[in-house]
Amino acid sequence: MVTPVKEDTELVTINIDGKDYQVPKGGNLVDMAKWVAGNDIPVFCYHPKMDPVGMCRMCLIELGGVARDRATGDIQYNDDGTPQIRWFPKLQTACTQTVNDGMYIKTNTEQVKEGRESVIEFLLTSHPLDCPICDKGGECPLQNLTMAHGNGVSRMYFDDKMHLNKHYPLGDLIYLDRERCIQCARCIRFQDEIVGDDVLAFHERGRRLQIITNSDPGFDTYFSGNTTDICPVGALTTGDFRFGARPWELTEVPSISPWDAAGENISLSTRLDRDFGGKAMIKRVMPRQNEYVNEIWISDKTRFGHHFTRSDNRLSKIQIRKGSNFSESTWDSTFKAVAKTLKEANGSVAAIAGGSATNEDLYELAQLVTGLGGDKLGAWSPTHTGADLVAQVGLPEGSNLGELGAGDAILVIASDLEEEVPMWRLRLKTAQDRGAYLVVANGRNTRLEELATEDPNIKGRVVDGAAIRYEAGSAAAVMANLKKSNKDIAKKLADANHLVIVAGAEGLTLEGHRALVQSAANFLIDSGHAGKVNSGLLVPLPGANGMGLHYMGFSPETTQDIAANPPKVLIVLNAEILDDDPTAKTWLSQVDTVITLGYFMDAIARESKFVLPVQTFAERDGSFTNGERRVQRFYTAQGPMGDAIPAWKAVGNIAQAADLGRAKLSAAAVMVAIAKNVAAFEGITYKVLARTERQFPDVGGDDKYYGGNAYQNTGGIGKQIALSGTAKSEKVTVPDALKAGKGEIVLLPTTRLYDRSHMFIPTVMVRSRVSLPFVHLNPKDAKALKLADGDYAEVNYDGGSVRVRAVVSDDVSVGAAVFPRKLTEKATPLVPTVGTITKVTEPAQIEG
Amino acid sequence: MAVIGNKKYSKQIEHHFSKYPDKRSAVMPLLYIAQEEYGWVNDDGIQEVAELCELDPTHVKSIAGFYTMYSEKSKGKYWLQVCTDLSCALRGADEFHKDLKAYLEVEEGGTTDDDLFTVEHVMCLAACDNAPMLQCNFHYMENLDMEKMKAWVEEKRAELQKELDA
Repeated sequence: MVTPVKEDTELVTINIDGKDYQVPKGGNLVDMAKWVAGNDIPVFCYHPKMDPVGMCRMCLIELGGVARDRATGDIQYNDDGTPQIRWFPKLQTACTQTVNDGMYIKTNTEQVKEGRESVIEFLLTSHPLDCPICDKGGECPLQNLTMAHGNGVSRMYFDDKMHLNKHYPLGDLIYLDRERCIQCARCIRFQDEIVGDDVLAFHERGRRLQIITNSDPGFDTYFSGNTTDICPVGALTTGDFRFGARPWELTEVPSISPWDAAGENISLSTRLDRDFGGKAMIKRVMPRQNEYVNEIWISDKTRFGHHFTRSDNRLSKIQIRKGSNFSESTWDSTFKAVAKTLKEANGSVAAIAGGSATNEDLYELAQLVTGLGGDKLGAWSPTHTGADLVAQVGLPEGSNLGELGAGDAILVIASDLEEEVPMWRLRLKTAQDRGAYLVVANGRNTRLEELATEDPNIKGRVVDGAAIRYEAGSAAAVMANLKKSNKDIAKKLADANHLVIVAGAEGLTLEGHRALVQSAANFLIDSGHAGKVNSGLLVPLPGANGMGLHYMGFSPETTQDIAANPPKVLIVLNAEILDDDPTAKTWLSQVDTVITLGYFMDAIARESKFVLPVQTFAERDGSFTNGERRVQRFYTAQGPMGDAIPAWKAVGNIAQAADLGRAKLSAAAVMVAIAKNVAAFEGITYKVLARTERQFPDVGGDDKYYGGNAYQNTGGIGKQIALSGTAKSEKVTVPDALKAGKGEIVLLPTTRLYDRSHMFIPTVMVRSRVSLPFVHLNPKDAKALKLADGDYAEVNYDGGSVRVRAVVSDDVSVGAAVFPRKLTEKATPLVPTVGTITKVTEPAQIEG
Repeated sequence: MAVIGNKKYSKQIEHHFSKYPDKRSAVMPLLYIAQEEYGWVNDDGIQEVAELCELDPTHVKSIAGFYTMYSEKSKGKYWLQVCTDLSCALRGADEFHKDLKAYLEVEEGGTTDDDLFTVEHVMCLAACDNAPMLQCNFHYMENLDMEKMKAWVEEKRAELQKELDA
């Protein structure tokens, strides 16, 4: 359980309203009063995830301590033998008090009541009281606390009310209403303390005090939406939900982010909506508290990226190829036709599945392929590997990145974590704030590099301290030789109490990534960290269910095998093979029949014989296994799209039509079968996944002041799969880095959080923040190619060419061009490859 | 116009940086330099000061907004701050202030159409004995009356006209 009381916590006694309580020493008074006594001291500016500032004065209490003789220090007693209490003459702010032994507080006296009433009256002097049209109305801490503690009348002259800007866009996503703002500075502190990108600040003072940003372009961090959650009034609203619905109309459905390996717990606020044919529709995405996974935060991609589920481009009908055209069909006949095709393949059947398929989908797909006599199950995309090692030396059960702090160390290598798994980046950043030693190693400059722990004793190549900049593509060699080449850093890592290594695949081929992950595992095993709680290996596997792919038998190495030895029939589930990989069309042409199950009519679907529409995470229930091996369940939230059904159901029915046993009737039933047949999932049922527990800090409960800030977890905190297997420190053979010939250059694909993939592009409001396609070159390389920053360049590679803008800076290494994936509609290299870049002058032909 | 790279200020900037352990601590004196350069603290000035002090521009703007001696509105070439506190008022400063505004045809805090003069009233400038007085771009003009003032205003207007003609 996530609690403030650990085994070794020292407890002290405090007295709240005449009753004694044992609380952990050093805790915050507001948090402790709530945790042990259920005493809700009202707050506006205080937030348990951030440092107290005592700005709003709402938490006023009477505070006292045991009186001691000033000369001797002895406790002074009353005549009846009870200790004398010395009270402060004036009210004190509870949020700025840490509990200590002998602390006495009163929260229910006349003085306290009057204090709270006055603060409310003061805060409301310039508040517009436009609750009837305010998005926060109904779940607003200011509204709640006014009802609970306010006087009901104001002595303020209405003419003296401040009139300020009411629809001020801080960026593309967040709008500010300056009249509603009560100047608690939670948003400012969130950006500063939690994200580490302090682009918000106060301007002017007194009654004119207001929030501003001078950042250009606007307020656009990857976590900006969280400021609207923690805003205790309706001052900050998202462009997505603004004026969209009233909170009391919404049904909260627990769900899981479909985007990345973090597996952020979310709550989908749905309502039966005219805009979606009267069906339940997601109106907004809110964070759901899970202190093990995402605490109370979510990334903007998770918050705003739900639009693809209702996109007009979603596949809603079954499409079967007749010659060069597709015609629609019904499920029953399709099941039969697909089953017939599969049986005729005589076992030459393989499947490739992507990271947005659920555990249930993958299990049923694996059953189908093996039932037909095939044994090749490929994981998409073949860029990241090492899931098997995460299963062995990952973070053990009971681990929590939120507990990393002083004495611990983190190494992030070959990953731009902010772009790949923003939630991990956020949690590792806060771990560093608590004192963890953060080492960032990459072949180029990333935002994360700025966060690396500064250490003047360690001379780095770029900055002094824990930032290692290596030759692009040499991550595996750097990790394997860390103890020799970066002795000081390696020693700090090895000596840390807990060590987490995040091993990304940037600049690496699949073989290179295998070598990197194995080296990282070796390091953990050699230093004795493997298997220790809060220590272990993380891999930013693409998609929400990268670990699920591993447990269900899908591996990226098999994908390579499938490409090398194409089967007669290939089943593709949620893998945009042709959009992602320009070289795939060569081997796909040797596959007789492709059966695609997906969300969109993407390039692989257009090449398929059967295209089956399947449901997204929003319209069905299921489970994902996140990068920390936590199996988490999500529930049906949105109404169905056309004829789409869950993939497990489609696959199960195909199996039934192929005489491979009866199709399961529910996702829960599939999970029962998984628990029986997949060792790692033993004991996992939907009931186990739905288990919740009380979490610290206590937010989103029955109190009146965190309401609308974060949602209590009612859908389950999931279950982490125990480590299995006995990984040994193995000798690693580092494959040779790619070498470019004369006139060529190595292209290193990277991941961007906001891209032009089929799933993300329907999120129109974020479109302006998707980078235009570019290739990033070192000035030396650019000079040789006669390219200047901002020029247009044609990038040629195996399987295609694309025109993009050139970015020139020494943030990238010589001899390698950073070439982000999925920024163009054309497929660009998926894995590092050798290509050429030439200058072009026709900007009109730029892609994207 | 610029603060960065302007020879006029490079020595001053160095001097301010040398006074503090951190560059960010010099933000306030540097803001004064920006104000001197542009006449007010505009976005260009904020960007430049942020760059010099290695701060986020948002924070520089926040500081400029908090302190009233930084002006975030564009001002005329001559920023006239008339003291109208009690002892000055006893010597006719409030009348002087009113007359001056009427003569220049501006409201309180307003700027003349030719962008030459901005007039506002301020609290005590510690020159009561020489009232009516005002502060023009932080330099004192004392023992004033409307005759003197009109002459000075016309002189400045003529200067502007000359500049425009040239």
